[in-house]
Amino acid sequence: MIEFRDVSRTVPSGTGQLTILHPTSFVVAAGTAVAITGPSGSGKSTMLGLMAGLDAPTTGAIFIGGTEITALSENALARLRGDRIGIIFQFFHLLPSLTAYENVLVPLEIARSKSAAARARALLAEVGLVERSHHYPSQLSGGEQQRVAIARALANDPPILLADEPTGNLDSTTGHQIIELLVNVNRRHGRTLVLVTHDAELASLADEVLLLRDGRVVERREQVRPAPSSA
Amino acid sequence: MMFVLRMAWRETRTSWARLGFFFLCVGLGVASIIVLRSVVQDVRITLMREARSLLGADIVVQTQRPWTPELRAQIGSLLEAVPPRNQTEVVDTQTMAASVGATSGGQVKLVELRGVEQAFPFYGTIDLTSGPYSHDLLEDRGAVVQPELLSALDVKLGDRILLAGQPFTVRGVIARDRSQRGGGIAFGPRVYVDLAALRQTSMLAYGSRVSNQLLLQLSSDSQVTVATESLRQALRNQLVSVRSWQTLEDRIGRSLSTAENYLSLVGFAIVVLGGIGVRSVTRVIVRQKIRSVAILKCLGVSSGQVLTIYLIQVLGLAALGSLVGLALSVIALQAIPTSVLIPLGLTSVGVTWASAVQGITVGLLVSALFAAVPLLEIRGVKPLLLLRADGASTSRRDPWTWTAGVLISAALAAVAVWQADSVRAGAYISGGLLVVTSVLYLCSLVLVRLTRPLQSSRSFALRHAAVSLARPGNQTRVILISVGLGCFVVVGVRATEQDLLREMSAQVGESSPDLVLIDIQEDQVGSLGNTIGAYLRSPARITPLMRGRVVQVDGRRVQLPTLEAVREHGKLVREFGLTFRDHLESNEHIVSGAFWSSASNDPPGEPVEVSVEERMATEARLSVGDTMRFDIAGMPVRGRVTSIRAVAWDDTQNGGFVFVLRPGAAVARLPHNYVAFLQVRQTGDDRGELQRAVVRTHPNVSAIDVRDIVASIREVVDNVTVGITIVGLVTLVGGVLILVGAVAMTKFQRLYETAIYRTLGASAGRIAAMMAIEYALIGCLAGALGGAGGAAMSWGLARFLFDIPWQPAPTLMLLAISMTGALVSGVGVAASADVLLRKPLATLAEER
Repeated sequence: MIEFRDVSRTVPSGTGQLTILHPTSFVVAAGTAVAITGPSGSGKSTMLGLMAGLDAPTTGAIFIGGTEITALSENALARLRGDRIGIIFQFFHLLPSLTAYENVLVPLEIARSKSAAARARALLAEVGLVERSHHYPSQLSGGEQQRVAIARALANDPPILLADEPTGNLDSTTGHQIIELLVNVNRRHGRTLVLVTHDAELASLADEVLLLRDGRVVERREQVRPAPSSA
Repeated sequence: MMFVLRMAWRETRTSWARLGFFFLCVGLGVASIIVLRSVVQDVRITLMREARSLLGADIVVQTQRPWTPELRAQIGSLLEAVPPRNQTEVVDTQTMAASVGATSGGQVKLVELRGVEQAFPFYGTIDLTSGPYSHDLLEDRGAVVQPELLSALDVKLGDRILLAGQPFTVRGVIARDRSQRGGGIAFGPRVYVDLAALRQTSMLAYGSRVSNQLLLQLSSDSQVTVATESLRQALRNQLVSVRSWQTLEDRIGRSLSTAENYLSLVGFAIVVLGGIGVRSVTRVIVRQKIRSVAILKCLGVSSGQVLTIYLIQVLGLAALGSLVGLALSVIALQAIPTSVLIPLGLTSVGVTWASAVQGITVGLLVSALFAAVPLLEIRGVKPLLLLRADGASTSRRDPWTWTAGVLISAALAAVAVWQADSVRAGAYISGGLLVVTSVLYLCSLVLVRLTRPLQSSRSFALRHAAVSLARPGNQTRVILISVGLGCFVVVGVRATEQDLLREMSAQVGESSPDLVLIDIQEDQVGSLGNTIGAYLRSPARITPLMRGRVVQVDGRRVQLPTLEAVREHGKLVREFGLTFRDHLESNEHIVSGAFWSSASNDPPGEPVEVSVEERMATEARLSVGDTMRFDIAGMPVRGRVTSIRAVAWDDTQNGGFVFVLRPGAAVARLPHNYVAFLQVRQTGDDRGELQRAVVRTHPNVSAIDVRDIVASIREVVDNVTVGITIVGLVTLVGGVLILVGAVAMTKFQRLYETAIYRTLGASAGRIAAMMAIEYALIGCLAGALGGAGGAAMSWGLARFLFDIPWQPAPTLMLLAISMTGALVSGVGVAASADVLLRKPLATLAEER
């Protein structure tokens, strides 16, 4: 479960302060899929960054699985991300000096997983990239890089998956494949999925949609998800 | 830990091309240190050899009194802790030499007589006209003499001469004496005899002017230091002097210690240059890795782990770079031409274990320390930058980074002091570095402000060059500080080298007298001048000379009412050469009191005004206002100290006197003669003709040829000069190469924007022009500021460390500015050539 209690974020802007997220409270139940949508600059990525502990709120508190992450040190936050949160980025953010296989291996090694190699290979197989496992990111297409990023995010079997515009940098066909992959991850493994997206198709697959405008949640809508894909 | 090691390896293996620069910087720094240390060790050995040859031993213990059994026992017990390998005795005295027929009207000559034993000399050589010297020649009352004695006494090899009335046979004639120089002016030709034979004569009887010396040869330099200190401490109050080569206080000693200081300074400079290169490379590596760092943090890696990954990477590369440096140093040492080494007494120079270990250790230490500050930036990298670019801002000052910066600076200063082997030299340059870095930082801000108007220039290249100087993440500060500091070090070392070489050249310059005439009577001064004038390169300097002793002192700080008290006091016991004149020489200045400017009109009976040399005044506790009584050739003279005078003893042109009297009627009546310092023309047989003319017209005047002394000084200084020049060149070459690497590294920070310019339609030539202007502006400013800092540092070193005159070096400054501008500009553009020429898409894809 993810909980925001009166969380706001203000940043310096010129000579004054700019509030990019006004005090917001909500709860994301475990196992649900939530889509955060809204126009550019509405505070979507800020909200996701706060959820991942990548940023600290100006006011309020954030709880992940009952733990107040706003009280944790940077190293404790890093451990929390390693254990409980998988993150997927619009620009993939793979380590360019590591192969696809090694990129997936890294979080397993950080967690000192005993079956790291087998797990990494299995994950690459799950995203359909066994053949490309020894390629570097620069040798992979955008879709392939995002699949490696998803495999990496799933490496330690985290209960929470955060995705920032996971299809934003991909063509529609590839984007569709990635959507299916994410939905399967959420539904088959019961993980909490929070995704920031402009993509209406992707948002429609979520259990709940948060619509942000000018740093405020202006609409919170529950919806019935379509049946799972057979893919 | 395994994860950290694995990540360090993974991060390294795909960046070989970029890390090649890191290799180069560390390699060049380490190679320079190893080459310098190896050469320096050999140069030091040469210097030590020269210095030892000046003393003839490692340590000389000397007393004007006869050795007593108690004193010898005390010296013996002091040396038990560091037993000498060899020891021998030498006795120096002055006596009259005469041809055997002297009693019936033959020639007589004052000689510097030296009694030596079989082991003399431990260092240096005596070359005879007939071959090498051997003590066997002195057996059975043999003598080895300087050639001047043969002509003065009109004797030849194999003839007998009388020394204090005792017959000795001339068995050898000295061609070149580089065994042991005596102190002060030699009053006659040198004569060597066997010490045992000398002791059988009456010459060493009580009251004679005798210098008894114990020459020691020890096993190691550290033993020399220990033994010198222990002997000095124990014998301080017993009228015994203890000298080792480090304590030589004359001009050669100064040259040697100056060379030592310079070599230490260069050791420091190389460390700084290497460090600048390493810092530049590490900074670029860190900047390149910021996104990877953010990703790792996002995946759960702690800041400490990330820092360790890159620290291990840097140390691994530094270790490999150090090994490359070792290989480079072997090649560089092989490449030094033999013709350069021969003057240093060497045939080849190899890498010594000590220098290799030191070079690699320093390479690792300096790499780690210089890399640490940029690596600490990793702490400030926020994983949020993966979501929002502005989240990447690391501008917030991390107090840990500042604290670490201070600690690292202190550690670097410690490494530098270790390398420079001198806290003082280290302090001067550390202070200089700090000041220059601050000035460079401020100037980078000023440059950006001053070039702001160019941002609206009509020229695309000029406009964008100015924009690049001021853009966020610009390289203005980085290049200005790196290149400026490098320039500071190189110019500082080169300017100091020029000062030193100029000073050494002045010391052995053509102004040194090479022939001295003594025993000139007052009424002969004019006629002698006429006789010798035609043979001289410059006018003769003729000085009155008296010989006398201090017999009484009534002073503020010291009371010596009797001759016995003077003897007990020790410092004033010897016979002094005194002179009188109404002016200061160019190598003198007054430190206390006032020097007269005319002859005295005081009536007889008034104390004569006396000027005392500063060091003697300090040692003997004499002050202005003290009265003294001298015995000058049996005539008592009362004097009053009116000034204390500093004398530059190493000025070979002017020499110096401890006591100078004010001329006047009273002084003119004292027994005195004159000594003439001459520079004889080098053409034909001028020297021989002059000496024959003097013997013919002024038979009582003696000539002392000091060519050998001047030549031996020149030889030592020349050797030191070669050493300093080689070391200076190594610094220059190493410095330039490291700066090239540092500038070239900055290309990685402009790959992306260069590709974008190309995408937008800018031609390669236009971008190159833009870069050339930007780099040239920074380079010229760095050259000017670094050069000015270097000049200031050379002034400080000349003034306070080396105590030599400083001269501005405008040519060096102009070269520093123009060459640095051209170098930075050329290297900046050349390093980016691949980016300029290749398709921009590949760069954009890589840099995204």
